[in-house]
Amino acid sequence: MISVSSILDANDLQKSYGKVHALKGLAFSIDEPGVIAILGQNGAGKTTLIHCALGLEKVTNDSLTTMGYQPGHVLAKQKTGVMLQDTDLPDLLTVREHITLFASYYPEAFEVDQLISLCHLQDIAERRYKKLSGGQKRRVQFALAIVGNPQLVFLDEPTTGLDIEARRNLWKVIRDFAAQGKTIVLTTHYLEEADALADRIIVMNAGKVVADAKPDDIHKQFTGSMIRCQTRLSETELSSIPGVSGMVTAGRFSELRSQDVNSTLLGLLAADPDLSDLTVYQPKLEDIFTQLSQMGVPS
Amino acid sequence: MNLIFRSFLLEAGAELLKAVRAPEFIIPTLGMPVAFYSLFGIMISRGVDGAAYLLATYGVFAVMGPAIFGFGISVANERDKGWHALKRAAPSRGASYIAAKVCSTLLFSSISVACIYSVAGFAGGVALHTHVWASLMAVHLLATFPFILIGLSIGFLCNSNAAVAISNVIFLMFSALGGLWIPIHVFPSAMQGFAHILPTFHLSEIALSVSGAPGERDLSYHVFIVSLMTALLLAITALAWTRQRNK
Repeated sequence: MISVSSILDANDLQKSYGKVHALKGLAFSIDEPGVIAILGQNGAGKTTLIHCALGLEKVTNDSLTTMGYQPGHVLAKQKTGVMLQDTDLPDLLTVREHITLFASYYPEAFEVDQLISLCHLQDIAERRYKKLSGGQKRRVQFALAIVGNPQLVFLDEPTTGLDIEARRNLWKVIRDFAAQGKTIVLTTHYLEEADALADRIIVMNAGKVVADAKPDDIHKQFTGSMIRCQTRLSETELSSIPGVSGMVTAGRFSELRSQDVNSTLLGLLAADPDLSDLTVYQPKLEDIFTQLSQMGVPS
Repeated sequence: MNLIFRSFLLEAGAELLKAVRAPEFIIPTLGMPVAFYSLFGIMISRGVDGAAYLLATYGVFAVMGPAIFGFGISVANERDKGWHALKRAAPSRGASYIAAKVCSTLLFSSISVACIYSVAGFAGGVALHTHVWASLMAVHLLATFPFILIGLSIGFLCNSNAAVAISNVIFLMFSALGGLWIPIHVFPSAMQGFAHILPTFHLSEIALSVSGAPGERDLSYHVFIVSLMTALLLAITALAWTRQRNK
């Protein structure tokens, strides 16, 4: 029987460092090319996942494969590219020298000049890496990630610390490359970035997938406002208030997500006139993660 | 051209470019040995015998810098930056990277000893048979390898700040206490005893023996000790390599 391998397949993937469990039974698979954003807070396990997929960290057999190979297999490496977090290249080589060296590792690498124009590096090709701005450095690192013309590219927080213009420039080259039928897995903690690029968003929290859906579906979870208060109402009573789409209890406080703040507030005050410490705010990423990890995403 | 060979050539080219573009590497590693030899070996020792004697020991000093600094500091620095992780994620070969660094180091060692030989020959009046010059050159270049292993171990085990400090300490201690700067027999006897645990002492004894310097030397004993030390360093380097990969 001929089976078509997934581009990336994680099946009960576990990874611990001593007593810290970074990945706790992660399971998802990528079968179609496109941009997949992995969204999660620091410590969610995003980087660990990428390191495992690249073979930089050992994993138990068959819990993770890329293009049908065990992570770190040379044939997998030839079809994979990566932009690691907190990485810098040697300062004293020029952009062109870096690209030429990395191109020599891959059997089907891009022509150096072709890649330079693909990544809009013409103006800085002869400049030493040390002399580049933060955004230019990331573009060079992206060029190294795709120099082997890979099927699968991992970008670990590619735009963290960049200003908005540099971020948009990098998004453009990422989008152009993805348009050639490639798979790009990028981690981020910016919802905006996931929105701008991804065909699919996987939300990770504490080493697990807590949501896996199209951006539109995830977005439903992000709309509306948060209402925080102290109330004597029970969860059942709260959930029957108009506009309420979710809730979490945090100590003495109840945190409600509402799609219609006015009706919810009116209903809330009518049901519990003694309600205190009322605040209304836009959901922060922490709220979304807490809610997602407790409720999941309706798909 | 074969893909692996081409990749190795580019890797070696990159190592050379990184080295020649770093004055903080070039000046101390190439300039210091020849400056020290001119001062201590020619001007202060004032005699062909002294110049010839110190030629053997300063040659060991000359090859130590490129190896310990070139490997120790640059490997630690590139590892700290995450460049090694990026190369490991790519289908690059670790052996090719190391071999490229070895080639670049040997080139700098050769230039460094060639400078000293020129000063010895032209300014110091040291006249040796061609085969003696050649044997001395072989000894000095082979002496690079134990220092490369020391540099590699530092690079794999230390972060870049610690690597700078430790490389300097080892470099200075091995030079001074191993008798590379001043002949070992002027040291107090306790210090002479200590020199026996340093590879620099045994390497300079081999070089002295090959260059026909006066005094009794057991060449095979020093060769044996150096081989033993190199084997030990190889084991340490292998452990250090495994440790940093699994970290």
